Amino acid sequence: MARQDKGITPWLVLGLPVALGLAWVTQGTGVIQDDPERNIAIPDELTMPLQVQAAYNDSHIFFRYRWPAERPHILHDVLVYEDGDWVRKGSAVPGSNPDGLHEDRVAMMLDDGSVPDFARYGGYMAIGAGAAGLTDEAPEEVSKSMPGTRIDLTDWASRQAPETLEAQREAGYFLDLWHWRGHRSNPLNLSDDQWIGAERSGDAGRSPYTTNWDGDAGQPLWMLDPEEAGQAALRWEDIEAGRVDFDSPYFLAEDTAIDFDPDHDWQNGDVIPRRLVRQTEGSRGDITVQGEGRWNDGYWDVTLSRRLDTGNPLDDKILRDQGLYAAAFSVHRNATGGRWHSVSLPVSLGLGRDADLTATSFQGSTPEWADDWFDMTLFYPGQVNWPLLVSRAHAGAPDIAEGTPVHARHSERQLAIYGVEMEFNDAIIRQWGLTLLAGLITMLGVAIALLPVFRDTSTNRKGEAS
Amino acid sequence: MSGMHHMLVHFPLGFWALATLMILIGALLPGRMAELNRVALLPVLVLSLLAALVAIISGFLVWPLEASTASPLARNHILTALWSLGVFTMLTVLVWRAGRSAFVGASRWALLLLALIGISIFATTGTIGGHLVGATTQFSELLKLFGWDVYHTFFVPTWVIGVMVLIGIACAVLGLKGRRTAS
Repeated sequence: MARQDKGITPWLVLGLPVALGLAWVTQGTGVIQDDPERNIAIPDELTMPLQVQAAYNDSHIFFRYRWPAERPHILHDVLVYEDGDWVRKGSAVPGSNPDGLHEDRVAMMLDDGSVPDFARYGGYMAIGAGAAGLTDEAPEEVSKSMPGTRIDLTDWASRQAPETLEAQREAGYFLDLWHWRGHRSNPLNLSDDQWIGAERSGDAGRSPYTTNWDGDAGQPLWMLDPEEAGQAALRWEDIEAGRVDFDSPYFLAEDTAIDFDPDHDWQNGDVIPRRLVRQTEGSRGDITVQGEGRWNDGYWDVTLSRRLDTGNPLDDKILRDQGLYAAAFSVHRNATGGRWHSVSLPVSLGLGRDADLTATSFQGSTPEWADDWFDMTLFYPGQVNWPLLVSRAHAGAPDIAEGTPVHARHSERQLAIYGVEMEFNDAIIRQWGLTLLAGLITMLGVAIALLPVFRDTSTNRKGEAS
Repeated sequence: MSGMHHMLVHFPLGFWALATLMILIGALLPGRMAELNRVALLPVLVLSLLAALVAIISGFLVWPLEASTASPLARNHILTALWSLGVFTMLTVLVWRAGRSAFVGASRWALLLLALIGISIFATTGTIGGHLVGATTQFSELLKLFGWDVYHTFFVPTWVIGVMVLIGIACAVLGLKGRRTAS
């Protein structure tokens, strides 16, 4: 019996590879899962491609964007008639809207060097404490902002004095934001034109959309004009079946909408867009769509255009021939809103000079695009904000202080993984610590098991391997 | 401290690599060279532990603890470093206790297995260290091929933690039971 035990005991060492093997095949599971209550929804794809081209003539600059999307989302939020009430559907939710509503978008932040950190860290520096959509979002909606607009980076409410903010803006301490929306601007070949300072604001003038809702009456303000659109409303079953496309009357516009008629014979399932698209005015209307922004064969293809010098230097970054700028891009697809977008690292933009993305000079009114794209990888950024990145909790904070660019340290894929893990940081740290401990306990147990067979019995022999 | 850590980690890595080689030779080859390796193994292992302790302590001083535990790569570096230390501590204790008898019979296969596990883990530790300083290697691609991307924190579900602990306890109990039976 004793001999049998002695024969088996050395093989208890196999307990260690068995335990570590089990750990290997199950690692990474059990923690990361969607949790809408905490504003957590992890996209299926953490990275995606975006292609960009840029060109300019004497007066205008053009950006052409191309990105894959399984299908176009050209509806935003809608009002659905249900038993006498108009019910809103398509509101922003963590992750993809379950009804497939929420418009596709492409956005570009632009700087002329007045915000030096932007060229190194891109959109990360525009995410402050308490930003909307984060698990620890502030009680009021906090949009993108520049870190210098806060007295205390960790306090979203600690805004600088109004005169300081105005001085910052005049000094160019803001980002220009081109913001194309698949529903709220594209139907009229428009783009929203915004800027980021103490918050994300629209440029001066009239926005490309307004809300189609009369709060007092509890009903829409406008409806489709049956004479223009052929119908007073869309049908919910058509939306669910994906039958609403560019040829459908999928948007309300000033010239295609009429005042809402409560006495119309509304039927359950009638759908009216909750937004009215309208012509922009002033600085807010600087950016337009060249041609048509369209989705075809799995790809969006959108070209935006703007005057190089809009004459609105407090709203826009003025561009010049031979100028060098910084840009960062984002895409919303798959019926997502808020922070559930894919973003790029910052890239340099040169007008007629070498840069990551070089805008080529051309003569005439519209560029003739060649099949020569600047390819980027966009990534899901997760919950990483600027206060975290410059804090002691980020090992790279000293690198940021020294001005080391993010791409020198991190790849897009790496940042996407980190962004997801940051959403579960506390749980992962706990589980990682327990995993570490469990491995050590296994080692201790196996070591104890092996002690009886590891005894010095070599007194009378030479210790040759037998 | 970062540069100091980079310098100090060479010592445990060197000793552990040497110890693994010595175990391989001692376990698999006959003759005088193998005997020399068996005899010299213990000092190498002891030195490796001392060097590892210094290296690990210096590693914890590179960044604030909150930064180390917030970084997936740093977390993995810590886990694999401490597991490497654990495996080579096992080897040291066993070799210390058994002397040259550690290479007799089935024990040598246990030593060999532990050494191979140890070298795998400390190679991973070094690879992750390379990532932390921006010098990546193809070894991490190999790990990815086998199912683990080093940018993901290595953690397991709670039930697996329980199973791992149970395996450790079961091994210890069986070993102690076998000892009593043998005596």
